[in-house]
Amino acid sequence: MKYRKFLIPLTVTLGLTAAGAASAQKLTMGVRGGPESMDPHFSALGPHAEAAKHIFDTLVWSGTDLQIEPGLAESWAPVDDDTWEFKLRQGVKFHDGSDFDAEDVKFSIERIPVVTGPTTTAIYVRRVAGVDIIDPHTLHIHTNGQAATLPNDFIRLFIVSSEAAADYSTPETAAAGFNSGAATIGTGPYKYVSWEPKGDLVLERNDDYWRGKGAWETVVRKEIPNDSSRLAALKAGQVDVINYVSSVDYLALERDTSVDAIKGDSVYIMNLQLDQREDTPLVRAIDGSDLAENPFRDLKVRQAIDHAIDRQTMVDIVLEGLGKPANQMMPPGFFGSSEAIPMPAHDPAKAKALLADAGYPDGFEVDLYCTADRLPGDGAICQGLGQMLTQVGIKTNVNAISKTVYFPAQARLEYSMFMNGWGTLTGEASYTLGGLAHSNNPEVKLGAYNRIEYKNDDVDMLLQTGATMMNADERRATYEQAMEKVMADKAYISLVQLQTVWGAKAGMLQFAPRFDEDTLAFFISPAS
Amino acid sequence: MLGFIIQRFLQAVAVMAVMSVIVFCGVYAIGNPIDIVIPPEATQDIREEAIRRLGLDRPLYEQYFIFMGNLLQGDLGRSFVYNIPVLELIGGRLPATLELVLISVISAAVLGVSLGIYAGYRPDSWVSKTIMAISVLGFSVPSFWVGLILILFFAVNLGWLPAGGRGETVEIWGVAWSFPTLNGLSHIVLPAVNLALFKLAMMIRLARAGTREIMLTDTIKFARAAGLAEGTILRRHLLKLISIPIITVFGLELGSTLAFAVVTETIFSWPGVGKLIIDSIGVLDRPVMVAYLILVAFLFVTINFVIDLVFAMIDPRLRQGATA
Repeated sequence: MKYRKFLIPLTVTLGLTAAGAASAQKLTMGVRGGPESMDPHFSALGPHAEAAKHIFDTLVWSGTDLQIEPGLAESWAPVDDDTWEFKLRQGVKFHDGSDFDAEDVKFSIERIPVVTGPTTTAIYVRRVAGVDIIDPHTLHIHTNGQAATLPNDFIRLFIVSSEAAADYSTPETAAAGFNSGAATIGTGPYKYVSWEPKGDLVLERNDDYWRGKGAWETVVRKEIPNDSSRLAALKAGQVDVINYVSSVDYLALERDTSVDAIKGDSVYIMNLQLDQREDTPLVRAIDGSDLAENPFRDLKVRQAIDHAIDRQTMVDIVLEGLGKPANQMMPPGFFGSSEAIPMPAHDPAKAKALLADAGYPDGFEVDLYCTADRLPGDGAICQGLGQMLTQVGIKTNVNAISKTVYFPAQARLEYSMFMNGWGTLTGEASYTLGGLAHSNNPEVKLGAYNRIEYKNDDVDMLLQTGATMMNADERRATYEQAMEKVMADKAYISLVQLQTVWGAKAGMLQFAPRFDEDTLAFFISPAS
Repeated sequence: MLGFIIQRFLQAVAVMAVMSVIVFCGVYAIGNPIDIVIPPEATQDIREEAIRRLGLDRPLYEQYFIFMGNLLQGDLGRSFVYNIPVLELIGGRLPATLELVLISVISAAVLGVSLGIYAGYRPDSWVSKTIMAISVLGFSVPSFWVGLILILFFAVNLGWLPAGGRGETVEIWGVAWSFPTLNGLSHIVLPAVNLALFKLAMMIRLARAGTREIMLTDTIKFARAAGLAEGTILRRHLLKLISIPIITVFGLELGSTLAFAVVTETIFSWPGVGKLIIDSIGVLDRPVMVAYLILVAFLFVTINFVIDLVFAMIDPRLRQGATA
C-alpha cells in the first residue's frame, strides 16, 4: 500500500436507488462536531470552520489536497518584502444582495482580534500589520516582517459583510448578532436559516453563488457526537452522509451493501515525543533507582526506540488497516515533506544492541502518556507502543488518558515520553515544524508547541530563514532539509498517518474526501 | 413551618457555595483550559493574550471572587466556548431534558408501582414472576447497551422510530416543547423507554417489598374485618403506607435523572443539559460547569424540601411531629 495518488480523488459513484431519489433536493449530514457560534471569527476549531464554509467564503481557498487556490481573492503576489497585493473577485454578492468589495476584507481582518474566543482565530491574521484599500477590488496587506506563508494563513479568513456585521463586532454583541442571523450574511454557497448550539444547522441554497448553484436546495447539518449513534442514524435513514466512521464499524460496513464507506487520508500523524531536558521526571532504572542522566538525550536510545516500533503492525492490527506507516511529521506530498527520509525498519535485535551500546543493557523504565479520546485509535496505538517498547527492554507503563488532562499537563512539561496526533492543516511545513521543531522562543514566535525542549541550532536557523523566503522553491527545499534533520534526531518519532472514513447511503452521493476532513455540502452531489 | 423553610434555604446556600469552591479548585487542578482549546498555530504571545482575555492569568481566589461577585448580581458568567451567557445556554436546553425526564420518570413510577403492588399482592402467580424477572433485567443490563439495542431494533431494523435527535417543536409560553407533536413524540419514545427502564425496575421492587410487608400488618386485617372491598384497601390504605420510601426514591431519581441523563442523551443525540455538561467538562468550560453544578445542588435541595412537605401531607404522624 503506497500513498494515495494525489490529484485523482477517490470518487464513489453507484446507481441511484429509488430510496435516494425521494429526498434528492435535501441533504442531511450527520457530523461529529459542530460550530460554537455562527460568528465565523469566533473559533479556529475544525468543525467550526467546516460549518462556516457553508455560509461564508474565505479569501484563499484550500482544495481537496490542501493546495491553495483562488477564493474570494482571484490572485495575490508580493509587491515588496513586507507587502502582499490581493486582487479580489468581481461581481460577488452577499446573501442580502449587497456587493462584496475590499472594505469587507479589511473589516473582517480588523474584526478578528476583537471578537475571537479562546480557540483563537487571531492566528490567521497574526502576520498582518495593516490593510490598505487601493481600489474596491485591490488590497495591500502589510506584514510585520517577511511573511512568505501569508496566503496559507488566509485559508480560514472568512469574509463577513461590513454592513451587516457592523453592529455586531464587539465580544458582547457578536454571538447574539450572528446566532440570530442578523449578521450571518456571507457570500457562500448556502444561506443561514437556523442553528442551535450542539443541535441542527439548517441552510438553504444561495442561487447566485459565484461558483455556481449547489445541488441541494436545503442542507441540514446535524450534530451527533456519538460514533455508534451517528452510524445508526445513517442506517435508519435519518441522515444521508456521516463523517468519522470508527475503525470497528468500518470493518462491518465493508460487508454492508446499504452503506458506502468512503476512505480518505487524514492530515493527522501520531508522533512519539521524547523529552530532551537534562532532568526528566518520569524515567527510572528497572529497580526503581534514579538514572544518572536522561536516557532520551542519547541518540542511540532514541534510535533504539525507533527500531523497536513495528509500524505496519500498528496499522494492520491496531488501526484495522485505517492508516499508513509514517516516517515524518507530515503526510507525503505536503509542502516541505521530504522524499529522502527512509522508512525506519522494525528491528528489535538492533534496538536491544543500541540500548546496550548506550549503557542500558537491562533497559530502563518510563511512564508513557497519550491521549485516548482525541483521534481514532490513539489509545490503542499507545497500548501497542507500550508492548513494543517493553519487548526490547524499555519497561513502559502506558497511560492513555483524556485530552482534558493530557494537554494541560503536557503544557506544564510534566511528561518524559508522550504521544499525540498532529494535523498539518495548512498543508505546509512552517505550520508543523515552526510549532514543534524550533526551540521554544517567544521572540521569534516559534516553537510554542515544542514541549520536549528539543533544540537543534541548524534546524532553528533553517526555520527562521525559511519563514522569510518569498521564493516558493527555495522555501520548499529549506523546509525539506529541516524536516530531514528533525527526523534524523529522532526526538520526534512519527508512527502512523491516520485515515478517516465517511459513510453514505449506498449509491446516493458522490464526493471526494478532503485531506482536512471537512464535509462540505456544496462539494457533495447526488449520484446520477 | 417558616423556620423549617429558612433552615432549608440556608442549607441550600451553603451547599451551593461549597459546590462552587470545589468545582473552581477542581478545574484549576486539572490545568489551564486554554491548553485544550487553543489552536496549534498559536504563537506564545497569542496564547498569553487568550489567557488574559478570559481572566485566567489572575490568581485563583481573585477569579473566584469576581465570579461570586457577578453571581450575586444574578450574572452566572459567559461560557468560554460559546461566548453566550451560561443561563441562556442551560435554559435553552433545559426544556428538552425536562420533557424527556418527566415523561420517563412519571411513566416509570405509575407503571412500576402498579406492577409492583400486583406482584406483592399475588406473589405466587406467573404474572408476578414474569414482572419480577423483567425487573431483574432492568436492573442488571447497562443502559447504554439497552439504548443501542433499542436503536438497532426499532430504528435500524424495523424503521418504526427515529434513531435519535429531537423532533419538531411547538412554542408554549415562549419555550420550545416537542411532546405535543406526533413527530416530536416519536423521537421521545426510545430515549424515554431507555431512561425509564432502570427506574421502572426499582419502582417495581420497592412497591412489591412494601406491599408484601404491609399486607401482613394489622391495618389490613382490620380493614378486611371492617368489610372494605379489596380495591379500596389497596388504594386507600396500602398505597399510602408504602408510598414514603417510593416518594423518596422518586424524588432523588427525578433529580439525578434531570441532572445526569447524560448516557441516554449522548446515545440518542438528545440536545439536553446532560450532554451539555459532559461536553463542557471535556473542554474545561468552567463557567458552564460551575453554574450547572450550582443549579443541580439547588435542584436537589428543592426536591428534598418538596418531598418533606409531601410526607407531612400524606403521613399524619409526621405532620403532628412537625407542628409539635
